[in-house]
Amino acid sequence: MARRYDTRTTIFSPEGRLYQVEYAMEAISHAGTSLGILATDGILLAAERRNTNKLLDEVFFSEKIYKLNDDMVCSVAGITSDANVLTNELRMIAQRYLLQYGESIPCEQLVSWLCDVKQAYTQYGGKRPFGVSILYMGWDKHYGYQLYQSDPSGNYGGWKATCIGNNSAAAVSSLKQEYKENETTLAEAQALAVKVLSKTLDMTKLTPEKVEMATLTRKDNKTIIRILTSTEVEKLISDFEKSEAEAEAAKKQPPKS
Amino acid sequence: MSILAYNGGAVVAMKGKDCVAIATDKRYGIQAQTVSTNFPKVYQIGPSLFVGLPGLATDTQTVYQRLKFRMNLYELKENRIMRPKTFSAMLSNLLYERRFGPYFIEPVIAGLDPIDNQPYVCNMDLIGCPNEPEDFVVSGTCTDQLYGMCEALWEPDLKPDELFETISQALVNAADRDAISGWGAVVYVIEKDKITEKHVKTRMD
Repeated sequence: MARRYDTRTTIFSPEGRLYQVEYAMEAISHAGTSLGILATDGILLAAERRNTNKLLDEVFFSEKIYKLNDDMVCSVAGITSDANVLTNELRMIAQRYLLQYGESIPCEQLVSWLCDVKQAYTQYGGKRPFGVSILYMGWDKHYGYQLYQSDPSGNYGGWKATCIGNNSAAAVSSLKQEYKENETTLAEAQALAVKVLSKTLDMTKLTPEKVEMATLTRKDNKTIIRILTSTEVEKLISDFEKSEAEAEAAKKQPPKS
Repeated sequence: MSILAYNGGAVVAMKGKDCVAIATDKRYGIQAQTVSTNFPKVYQIGPSLFVGLPGLATDTQTVYQRLKFRMNLYELKENRIMRPKTFSAMLSNLLYERRFGPYFIEPVIAGLDPIDNQPYVCNMDLIGCPNEPEDFVVSGTCTDQLYGMCEALWEPDLKPDELFETISQALVNAADRDAISGWGAVVYVIEKDKITEKHVKTRMD
């Protein structure tokens, strides 16, 4: 009889930790990287595509980046099936708010609402938490461009630049050094994103098939969400490789006496 | 008195040559009293898709909001624009869900299919029975007059400017024979790469 209660997921450990939540975060640290950067004139999300098998019949145009409503986009890292459930729920939450209040849901409200759902799975029900971390980028009339991150525990925070998934710690410290608050334009952010992604992608080289990028900007009182084409991604990668090569060459030059 | 005639109104849609047109009056009234002359009952719901929702005004607004809810989710999940036939099916389903406590509107749908550019019109009753004819559809409190006008004026393969004239005359003359329709009119002509919106001057009585 006691066996029934042995494997409950929603209890504290003697040290005061929630093991299932930590294990969920561990699962995410093995998943493909996603990063987001807030720029002065827009926001971007970039993600590493893991499913690049040639035999895959390319049905989806985006593996990890999902549009939530007219003003918000999210990117996920972790268990894809869990992510699908959550993004569906996010879309429903946004539409229900629109139906009830006649205006678009503010970014933080959407994040907060979903995080309440995620938190419920850490406290009751006996079900495991969702193995997904989500990066949200959006615009609303209260706070302008915003970037949020949420994790399986249901915690969320607003960020200027952040990263989730494989090698995210290295990426975050890299962003900490290179990101200049209030001075980074969207174009500079794109270049920075490619640079950081190339570091997190382990040994493999950056190719357009491996990278997804989306930008969110405002023009004429409307939000414009764009998923970059592979040609544009290719250009960003080649620009990055060129600047890397120039940096290498400059290092090799003997110092001027 | 009929709930469908509490606020009054008229909507008509017609097929043309590679185009459709949809027209509505602008009256918002409460029985005999006219409250506003800026209440069109036609909404654009997709790049080439319009829906007209004449009937009880509160249901006009609510059904439009609920349609938008379902449309938005569809377009996000399927990552494509909804086709007019699918929209009809969805609206029919939405109305039949309320079979024993219906929304008091009798909608009209007009659009161009985004894939094969075929014109499409449809109307349905308040519990969602669809009717997809080859010529025109009418709805509102002066349907008898509208049917008469459309039958007399419509012919197949009208070009966009001819279609505009035809649909405007049909709506205006029918609404003039109805006390609770009229007070201004809006006509939309939907072609493959442009949509024209014209506000027609009518008798304001």
